[in-house]
Amino acid sequence: MSWNKVAVVGAGLIKMGELFEQSYEQMAAGAFSAALASVDKGLDKSAVDAVIVATQRGTLWGQEGIGGNTVPSAIGLSGVACTRVENACPSGSDAFRIGAMVVASGVHDVVLVIGVEKMRDKSTQEGLLARAAAGHPLYNRGETAPVLFAPFATRHMHEFGTTPEMLASVAVKNHHNGCLDPYAHFQSEITVEQVLASPMVCSPLRLLDCCPQTDGAAAILLTSAERAHEFTDKPVYVAGFGVATDHPYLHEKSTFVGLPATTLASGRAYEMAGVGPRDLDMAEVHDCFTITEILDIEDLGFVEKGKGGPASLEGETALDGRIPVNPSGGLLAKGHPIGATGIAQLTECWWQLREEAGERQVAIRQGFALQHNVGGRGSGVSVVNILTRNP
Amino acid sequence: MSASPIKPVAVLGVGAAAPSLRLAAKDVGAAWGSGGGRGTVAVCDSDEDTLTLAWQAANAALEAAGITAEQVSGLWWGTARPPFAEGPSHAFLSATLGLGRECGGALVSGSSHAGIEALLGAWDALAAGHAAVALVVTSDALVPGLGTAGETTTGAGAAAVVLGAMAEGSEAPSANGAAPAARLVARATRAMPAVDRYRADGGGATGDVYDARLFREEVFVPLLTEAGRAVGDEGGTPPVSWAIADPDGKLAGAVAKRLGAPLSSTPVYGALGDAGAASALLGLIHACAEGGSSTGSGPGVIGTIGYGGGRATAVVLDAARPVPGAVPVDRLGEGRRVSYAEALRARGQLEPMDDPIQMGLPPGGAAFVRGNPEMLGLFGARCKECGTISTPPSIHPTCVGCGGAELEVVSLARRGRVQTFVVNQTMPPPFQAPLPLVIIDLEDGARLMVQGSPADAAALDIGDEVTLSLRRYALERGIPVYGYKAYRVAGDWPQSGATVGSAQDGAGKEGGS
Repeated sequence: MSWNKVAVVGAGLIKMGELFEQSYEQMAAGAFSAALASVDKGLDKSAVDAVIVATQRGTLWGQEGIGGNTVPSAIGLSGVACTRVENACPSGSDAFRIGAMVVASGVHDVVLVIGVEKMRDKSTQEGLLARAAAGHPLYNRGETAPVLFAPFATRHMHEFGTTPEMLASVAVKNHHNGCLDPYAHFQSEITVEQVLASPMVCSPLRLLDCCPQTDGAAAILLTSAERAHEFTDKPVYVAGFGVATDHPYLHEKSTFVGLPATTLASGRAYEMAGVGPRDLDMAEVHDCFTITEILDIEDLGFVEKGKGGPASLEGETALDGRIPVNPSGGLLAKGHPIGATGIAQLTECWWQLREEAGERQVAIRQGFALQHNVGGRGSGVSVVNILTRNP
Repeated sequence: MSASPIKPVAVLGVGAAAPSLRLAAKDVGAAWGSGGGRGTVAVCDSDEDTLTLAWQAANAALEAAGITAEQVSGLWWGTARPPFAEGPSHAFLSATLGLGRECGGALVSGSSHAGIEALLGAWDALAAGHAAVALVVTSDALVPGLGTAGETTTGAGAAAVVLGAMAEGSEAPSANGAAPAARLVARATRAMPAVDRYRADGGGATGDVYDARLFREEVFVPLLTEAGRAVGDEGGTPPVSWAIADPDGKLAGAVAKRLGAPLSSTPVYGALGDAGAASALLGLIHACAEGGSSTGSGPGVIGTIGYGGGRATAVVLDAARPVPGAVPVDRLGEGRRVSYAEALRARGQLEPMDDPIQMGLPPGGAAFVRGNPEMLGLFGARCKECGTISTPPSIHPTCVGCGGAELEVVSLARRGRVQTFVVNQTMPPPFQAPLPLVIIDLEDGARLMVQGSPADAAALDIGDEVTLSLRRYALERGIPVYGYKAYRVAGDWPQSGATVGSAQDGAGKEGGS
């Protein structure tokens, strides 16, 4: 594969949360400003010649079916080339992948990848039911978001002896990390006991096993590696990426102890980057539910299949662990504004690789970070991006 | 009216079903501050209706009769409460039973007499030689007006009978050539234009306008007595006992007393309440079961009388031996006792003020037009290359196993084991928590995700054996949406509400009210 090397030269996000006071447009403008402000040597916004927008849930704020023109107008770039990407929970990470390919192709020089999502302009109940009868009129009726992952927890517990405490340890770790992240939706410590005492949402997942419904936006500026030093002396490079699919409905899954799309996507990303799981200094992975992070660290090859529970309980994925996972607080604490999620994760990777993550900074030894999302009906889409600070 | 002698038809098998819930009369009385009331009545859960009850009873009857769906020439369905007051009720039920698009028959409605009228219609088609095997299903789940006396008497239930035409010049039906366990041998109808129980066009609940004593003395007792006597007067053997549709638990006894033979259907009313259009056949099934008659008469010449809308019809059955599938109706299962409020909610008489959150696709839309046959008939698409079954066919133009494009539509197995599951506890209306969602590996190798029974929520586990039963998933924008739900075979509660077949498995569960 021959492609021009791509660099991240700026990244930023807004404080995540229930942002009732901010419009979609205001959130987008906030994220773009943050990204511009992060460019070490400055970047005139007129230099941006293409925008890729990730917004997944237009239905949640009355903007379904809109195109990509809302964001350029909101951020003062009306007229610029813009495309909107909707690819389930990996919408943001896929927008990044596409943005990287656009730069790599040489067609555009400076590309803004921006994810914006309004999750709370409608009631939480409507958000919950938004997908409960989408798709086939019958076969996924009642399938709220937790239903997509809870059957995997049931089966993982059955086959590997994974315990509720192991699941809870993921939430405890990520809430701890969230306390160290000023952008996180939740910034409070929780205990295993609190997780196990929280209300049952969708057995075996309890309230604190689930990510919140969060509004948010995040933005990244990409350019070619050749031009990167015009903007910063500490660029971060795109080392590789992969996207993969699986059958969409739960009853079509070949396994309930793993997400094959993640394995496929990460295999492609590792191959493209020429690295393996052991070369990573940290990872931001899709932890919409605690079980998801356990599945992820197995499917991404960080631990053996079936060992994700014990590894989490024993601190292997903590900030000072063997492979720190979700130092930002993850979806569980930082929040999951769907289109923005992947780009916010990549922003965390950018901070970590530049060693600018403050109290939650992990040790950077080999210079590689991985970002991952999985989602869509039946977790049928996964995107993995690998960043590096190594030239 | 009768011009030519009645041609008998063979009874090949029967089946009965009761809904899942039971409401105590005393709880109704307590709610209205009107004191007492005895016994319980059967009530449909929110995912049950006359169609799902009919499906249960019909399947039980077909299985008992040893008749396949392909052999059935017509479906006659009698109910005062078809799921669509005007709409595709018969086509839906026919699709769920796999009867095929060419299936004949009729939907009979209009009053509680609909059940026995459906039986007469099927009988006529067989006698005329226009059908060889007829499936007669009667089901009802009346909704009594709030605060009316009907709340403590109105029940629900279903009964099905598979009838076969007699081969020319033979004592055996053409369907299987074996001597039938029983034959329908005589019938008589009498009418009187009197308003009693009624529901206006578009009305939600049924009301009673009659003066109780007037109805008893001038309408019900004389009319049913006349019909009952008429079948005896035709020269056949007089019935040794009568099963009689009973609106209040007292009227039937008065008729039997006039007819001079014991009433066999007392336990039917006791178990279910007034099952409307299903009452007459439920009584017949109960009476022809071994040990089913309260008089201990068992098989023999037995009569039943159906009533509704000012018409009464008596039918006589001559049973040589116990009819396949017949078991006492009071052994259909105890059901789950619910509060008055829960019963009202289940019947749709207690609704939240807020509009329910609407689902993505309207049930009248194209997705349902495409999807109804495969949802109601439970179809999959089997790959001719690798044998994998992808479900449902409409969304699988290629195989999920190998990507092959040559697929054939197959009917899926109805039993399987739990691969994995969840119990959803956070379901805003229109859903009700706890809602199990179960991924099942069916016996034929297909995999399916369906809703499970709330009653199984606590005990459900990986590897559990489950059976699929038709239920009403939703009543959406006024339109019922049907699909299959998974029930633990070893559940604490009869797996499909209660059917004759499962009641036998659940020995020791009998009780009755």
